[in-house]
Amino acid sequence: MSSNMLIDKNSPYCPGCGHMNVTLNLAKAIDSLEIDPLDVIVVSDIGCCGLIDPSLASHTIHGLHGRACALASGIALAIDNPNKKIIAIQGDGGATIGIAHLLEAARRNFNLTLIVNNNQIYGMTGGQLSGLSNENFQHENANIEEPLTPFNLIELAKSAGATYGCQLIGKGDFTDYLKKAINNNGFSIVEILEVCPSYGYQKYSEIENLGFKTYEFENKRNPFRLYKNEIKSLINFNESKVYFESNLDKPIKIILAGSAGEGIQSAAELFARAAISCNLNVTKKGDYPITVGTGFSVAELIISPNEIHYTGIEKADVLIAISQNGFDYTKTKIDDNTFVIADSSIQNLISSNKLTFDFQKTFGKKNSAISSLFTLLILKNIFPPEAFENSLHESKHREKFIQLIEKIKSFLSEINHPA
Amino acid sequence: MQTNYSLVDGSKLIVEALAKSGVDAFISYPITPANWINQYATKRFPIMTFAPDEITVAQWISGLSAAGKLPATATSFPGLALMIESINMAFMMELPMIIVLAQRLGPSTGSATVGAQGDLMLVNSLISGGFNIPVFSVSNIYDCWDITSKAVHTSVNLRTPVILLTSKEMIMTSYTIDLNKLPEINRAEFNYYTSDEVYIPYQADKNYVPPFLPLTNNKHQVRINSSTHDETGTIKKATKAAIGNTIRLHTKIQRRLNEYLLYEYDNQESDLLIVSYDISSEATRDAVKFLNENGIKVSTLFPKTIIPFSKELIEIIKSYKHIMIVEENLSGLLSKLIYGIETPENVTKVNKIGSMITPSEIIKEVEKCLQIC
Ligand code: SF4
Repeated sequence: MSSNMLIDKNSPYCPGCGHMNVTLNLAKAIDSLEIDPLDVIVVSDIGCCGLIDPSLASHTIHGLHGRACALASGIALAIDNPNKKIIAIQGDGGATIGIAHLLEAARRNFNLTLIVNNNQIYGMTGGQLSGLSNENFQHENANIEEPLTPFNLIELAKSAGATYGCQLIGKGDFTDYLKKAINNNGFSIVEILEVCPSYGYQKYSEIENLGFKTYEFENKRNPFRLYKNEIKSLINFNESKVYFESNLDKPIKIILAGSAGEGIQSAAELFARAAISCNLNVTKKGDYPITVGTGFSVAELIISPNEIHYTGIEKADVLIAISQNGFDYTKTKIDDNTFVIADSSIQNLISSNKLTFDFQKTFGKKNSAISSLFTLLILKNIFPPEAFENSLHESKHREKFIQLIEKIKSFLSEINHPA
Repeated sequence: MQTNYSLVDGSKLIVEALAKSGVDAFISYPITPANWINQYATKRFPIMTFAPDEITVAQWISGLSAAGKLPATATSFPGLALMIESINMAFMMELPMIIVLAQRLGPSTGSATVGAQGDLMLVNSLISGGFNIPVFSVSNIYDCWDITSKAVHTSVNLRTPVILLTSKEMIMTSYTIDLNKLPEINRAEFNYYTSDEVYIPYQADKNYVPPFLPLTNNKHQVRINSSTHDETGTIKKATKAAIGNTIRLHTKIQRRLNEYLLYEYDNQESDLLIVSYDISSEATRDAVKFLNENGIKVSTLFPKTIIPFSKELIEIIKSYKHIMIVEENLSGLLSKLIYGIETPENVTKVNKIGSMITPSEIIKEVEKCLQIC
């Protein structure tokens, strides 16, 4: 019977190579499952087994050494159709270099079949041992180190979550196993023990003598599905906005410095939004250690009537320090012209131009940042405090801000307004 | 025109621009400073997941691309280093994909939260054998929108991976932008093979690019190949046809450069030209503004299609008596790209690592330079 899947009967491999029998069995399995070859995507690895492409009528994609299973996984991610059959073919070398890929494919139960042609050696590069070479495999390279136990790919794949696996000796007809693997709606792995007459064993009996036996497992699990997010634009082009007036006539550079857990970044963000509601330009960046939950937390804000380009702050016009960590981190960015607003707990505050307040005592750790920014707006004419109030009202924490705003107002009514 | 101000960061604009340009799959491995991009991506693409390492990322996006999706990822130098072989694969296979490269301070792991511009020569030589993939560079927050879109369109039109070069300070800083100033973005459209004739996967049209068919189609056999191959997509040793196909990959990128060449040139008819890109462009803009206000004219050139570096830009540069190149790395990578090892005497390099180059540092150099000029 002529094959739909096999379009070139000539072997691209050395005479007697085990890969040819795998090629024939694969074609036969596809034919007998009556799968249209164009529903099959064969993903071939580097190595002799990667010479398979021209033999087949399916789609073929030939990638990098050791990555066929990962490339096949990417294809599986794109396809939500169990009738499409993705078959990755690797050697024992490719499976070893890409072992993490097959574990991940098994864990996710991607709908694909991985065939590993294990002939115990790297054929294309001259017969080096792989991580899948049996400890009793006799070979000229075998004596360069103590014999090692090979990985058991099938057990690894099983523990990682594969839903079909099978190890078999690659002689004769093994299409039934391939058919089970291909029909499995999930990740299947088939390890085929092979001869390599050029560098490895000549006869299948030699492989059998290593103790390999055919065995398989099945494991019911749903195939990988992406969680379907609701996708929407990240930018709302039609946001309704309340506008306020500001007569700021030159850029002002503000540093808000505190510690992790003090809401520094979110307070700065709300302040930036308030500035925008006054048609001002703003840049805002955060600075904190890699362990975001501890140490200093600093926000740098530039507010300007004009477009801002360079976003760094060499010397701040205003430093608001609400805890010691942040002050210590930023004190090199102040000079005599910097106006400093600080919590009264801050030590070593050497500045001729400073005011201190009991933010922490009055408002606690979480609300000192917002309170200090309100204070700044009372003391310095940047934009109306109402704009900041509005920005808090529009935030998702609106409820908790209503009380806070009242408290801040009464706190601020007691401080002296500037002339 | 009425303004429509909003507070956005570069990461958000890049992700939104990718999606609007047709990117429908995003795979990444978490890495600072690309994490904001990765986080936004979780809410923006129909296919989005994290892979266990960057080699896997690059393979998965290649698989997605071969199957007809338009994928993107974002990473930084350590991740890019792992992806290089796979990006070479995608280049050889002619698979569109967008790699956003958020530069950070190196060498090695360096400092994840400190910006840098240290990867230009790496991305210039990413492809083995003397080939380029297009590299776009964003010079300000607005570029995060339209340069991103141009990168996507170029990737699809030329069937090649492209890199969008940016850096920590550009994508992790929030800015006021006027939404009304963002131009409309169109979806990039694939040039599909539509004929009934046998499909020859790497037979290019007159624009040096083969029409595309995904591995999922049921009409024509598709062969995609990363090894040296001829038009049929089957592996070949260095035959004339196969080498011809490989050289075409160079030709398509270079000959069609005029289709995707973008730069910003402010000719002030001065003796001095400042060339900069990425984050240092912004310090340059402020420095030049200050100099202009003090009666000093300085021209500026910001290449946004930075690789291949166009001859058109070289011609502009050559027309100046003195050139200053501003970039945040140790030894001047753009300068090396343009001039090689020996920097000509009329070129001043302004370089620094560890923090952004400031406008005042540039102004100081310009003043020094004007005394000599
Ligand atoms: S070297 Fe071995 S594996 Fe490779 S084709 Fe020859 S016999 Fe087959």
